[in-house]
Amino acid sequence: MNLLAEPLEREPLPREPWTVELVRTWAFAYRNVIMAKRNIFFVFELTFWPGVAMLSHGLLTRFLHLDARMTAFILVGTVALSAIQVCQLDVAYAVLFDIWSKSMKHQFLTPIGIRHMAVGSWLVGVARGVVVFALMAGIGSWAFGFDFIGAGPGALALFLLGCFLTSLVVGLLVCSLVVLFGTRAETSAWAAVNFVVMLSGIYYPISVLPGWVQVISAGVPLTYFLDAFRQGYGFEPHYAHAWLWGFALTGFYVVLAHWALASAITRSRRTGLLLKLSE
Amino acid sequence: MLAVEAYDLRKTFKSGWLGQRRTEALRGAGLQVPRGAIYGLLGPNGAGKTTLLSILATLLLPDSGSASILGYDVVREATAIRRRLNMASGNASFVWSLRPPEVLTFYGGLYGLHGRVLRERVETLIEQCELGPHRKTEYNALSTGLKQRLAMAKALINEPEVLFLDEPTLGLDPDISIRLRAQIAALRRERGTTIILTTHYMREAEELCDRIAFIKAGRILAEGTPDELKRQIRIGDVITLRLEPGAPRGLTDLPGVLQVHVKGDQIECTVDSSEKRLSEILRWLHEQGVLVRDCQVREPELEEVFVEFAR
Repeated sequence: MNLLAEPLEREPLPREPWTVELVRTWAFAYRNVIMAKRNIFFVFELTFWPGVAMLSHGLLTRFLHLDARMTAFILVGTVALSAIQVCQLDVAYAVLFDIWSKSMKHQFLTPIGIRHMAVGSWLVGVARGVVVFALMAGIGSWAFGFDFIGAGPGALALFLLGCFLTSLVVGLLVCSLVVLFGTRAETSAWAAVNFVVMLSGIYYPISVLPGWVQVISAGVPLTYFLDAFRQGYGFEPHYAHAWLWGFALTGFYVVLAHWALASAITRSRRTGLLLKLSE
Repeated sequence: MLAVEAYDLRKTFKSGWLGQRRTEALRGAGLQVPRGAIYGLLGPNGAGKTTLLSILATLLLPDSGSASILGYDVVREATAIRRRLNMASGNASFVWSLRPPEVLTFYGGLYGLHGRVLRERVETLIEQCELGPHRKTEYNALSTGLKQRLAMAKALINEPEVLFLDEPTLGLDPDISIRLRAQIAALRRERGTTIILTTHYMREAEELCDRIAFIKAGRILAEGTPDELKRQIRIGDVITLRLEPGAPRGLTDLPGVLQVHVKGDQIECTVDSSEKRLSEILRWLHEQGVLVRDCQVREPELEEVFVEFAR
């Protein structure tokens, strides 16, 4: 029998149950949780840096003799920045762990989609972000008398959700840059995160920024989340319907970031960088 | 029935400023692998073996040409076909803090395995790959041999129908290599897995592969069973004789005798086919009154074929 003469026969693939979507998402969460448990730098990310940030900024408000309202303004920014940084790190780890361990190709050899990587690692990021928030809220309340639910539990929940969704966008963009340009893009990716946060009026109202910078700030979802949450502490709103604008913009950026990462992976498969990152 | 088909695959890598430096890794390579076969890709360094394997494994996009695995296009239907293939490479690496069962659980999850099925599959592979005593050891602390075994276990987690092995025994101790080769052979025998492997070890290729393709400078130069390739290269068989009183004149003039070398009291006759020529030579020696004290026939090694092709 001449095996080579027979044409290649295509067998239909059995349909996968919907639970497989959850399983693939869970796998990324599982890996991030194990890594978080075993590596000391995760403990620093979760406790040391947020603790230091809250204490130093709180002490600064004491030194400047700020009243409770202004203290709230500053510390809301401190919490937002720490929660976003911790959560977006987890999203970025979906790709960074593989780059650091040179196991990139094994992950992209499997039938996963970006949604699995993104959501699985983001959920762990959200959990870690909540821990960071709780820690900072505890320190802020105990040391500086700051009431984190002063704007109401609903506003706090929306604010944290907004921060975590911003982290998802930032994390996916970091992944895109790293997949596109390799490890050399890592530092610039972190720098870009801090730059974006600066534009959102993290420790100041965006009205202090030059007019043309304010136009850019209006394109950053975090600007709206900070504006809306600070309203709960008696500050005048800069934007109308800030929550709505914030979430609408975030939704747009999540889609954009997903597309950016998908394009980066395709390009990396074309250039061979995906393989080089595994060598 | 074919498992893998590839035609006229071309791939050029660009590097340097604005991609000015170009390296043609594949220049129209193609292959056809029957289902359940072990297919070897041999060639010198930089020949394009890994590039070809990576395109078939959906990790790299070709510039042109086409390739299908089990009827699914590796470019357009990559996500669908990934469920049915897997890969292990000699320089495997996984996330440093994960232990062997965790590595397998993670990748099993990515293939959609969960619950009891996943737990049982992980346990079976841990046992099969002899990783049991190291289940609590983090990846970074494993020896090279153990890392390789874990890579093999990972490659089997989804029970792939098509398995790609990129130099699977690279840098392994001989005893571990032997066991790994036995495992590869068992995969095909017991599960009918189609295996495409690249290797530098000719003995490995000869022992395992049903068919072999020689690749050089991005092109498949020759393809066939190990025996077909040996015949193709026309290196010839070597008949070693110990004669008394010595080699008579006229041996080189016999039909089918390609060359004669005298090494001490031994004579090495390279012939086109030992099956055809041995009896003729022995008869002629008898007619010349020469006593044949010893006679050995050796077919060419695959290594000699490789050297010939790589030239």
